[in-house]
Amino acid sequence: MVVEITDSNFEELILKTDKPVVIDFWAVWCGPCRMVTPIVEEMSAEYDGKAVIGEVDVDSNPDIATKYGIRNIPTVLFLKNGEIVDKQVGAAPKQKFVDKLNALL
Amino acid sequence: MPALKSILDIEQFLQFDNLELIAREVVEGFITGLHRSPFHGFSVEFAEHRLYNQGESTKHIDWKLFARTDKLFVKQYEEETNLRCQLVIDTSSSMLFPYSKGSNQLRNKLVFSVYSAAALIYLLRKQRDAVGLTLFSDEIEDHLDPRLSSVNAELMYGKLTHLIQPENYRLRKTTDTTETLHLIAEKIHKRSLVIIFSDMIETNKTDELFQALQHLRYNKHEVILFHVTDHKQEREFGFSNRPYRFIDLETGHQIRFNPHEVKSHYIDTVKNYFNELKVKCGQYQIDLVEADINQDFKQVLYAYLLKRKRFF
Repeated sequence: MVVEITDSNFEELILKTDKPVVIDFWAVWCGPCRMVTPIVEEMSAEYDGKAVIGEVDVDSNPDIATKYGIRNIPTVLFLKNGEIVDKQVGAAPKQKFVDKLNALL
Repeated sequence: MPALKSILDIEQFLQFDNLELIAREVVEGFITGLHRSPFHGFSVEFAEHRLYNQGESTKHIDWKLFARTDKLFVKQYEEETNLRCQLVIDTSSSMLFPYSKGSNQLRNKLVFSVYSAAALIYLLRKQRDAVGLTLFSDEIEDHLDPRLSSVNAELMYGKLTHLIQPENYRLRKTTDTTETLHLIAEKIHKRSLVIIFSDMIETNKTDELFQALQHLRYNKHEVILFHVTDHKQEREFGFSNRPYRFIDLETGHQIRFNPHEVKSHYIDTVKNYFNELKVKCGQYQIDLVEADINQDFKQVLYAYLLKRKRFF
């Protein structure tokens, strides 16, 4: 299941895990985000237990978006040990996301 | 400007000295004769929203979003390409046949291949397909990966123009089609359409050559092989009955004989080789197109459009 990440649970979910983390930054009004959401949902089922996959609504959680300097949405960040290792800006085919996550496993 | 259909027409327009212009005339003239438009199926995909920066052009602001949410975001698009195409041209000296230093110096296989390639670049770019170019003789001389950008197109036109300047003609440049095709098969990663212009003259290496073609197909590329010849002289051996001195353009080797003495043997040998080529290409599902340099460019453009139709 995709974890809903907010300004308050961010530290606990992201920074305290040793698994790779994938965060999808999205907004309700953003068309291309709707292309990425189903991909992220599928991946969360496929990588259950191997990686933490979450999403951040940038409108309700501006702090996280600012912390990571998110200026474009959708943006998907790939983190390991709290550090950004890779990112994907804009909608893209599923394989691209999968490849980037596999590189972290 | 009348329609440019073959290199014979182009010879009259050389004062323009602009390959892109000539390519455009060839393609537009060809398209006018078609009933259905070959251009279809390309689009630009809306990929992301980016925060609007002050001072930036307001052209791409998503105004509907601004009306709903008071947020200023710019829409960013990603260009989609339908097809990746790699044009591969043999530049060995045998492509300069029929070699002439006089007024006919532009009527050879290389010039035909270059104009055909230029027309294809124009046609492909018009359809927003990515085009790349490889020039080879006994090694790969130049390689540009397929790209959509106009900078890439200009580079390709520049390289092609350079190739057909008579002062750049080089004799004794041998061919290694086999090795080159293997290298190209390794170089191109994504599934592409590979269009080869070559006279396929390579001695004693027929089996290896076929293996190289198979390598391309093995990597899932679609291949069109334009087998460029001067039909009259190379296939029919149309020389008059008097002694000639034949010079191998790639090695400089010379022999003197009367064409009549060997004509039937020559025609048979050439026919057998081409038949073998045809059969092998059929086996590997490679489109082999016999391109005669004295004929219309249509033969090239039609073959490409047919292949493209089957590509999807």
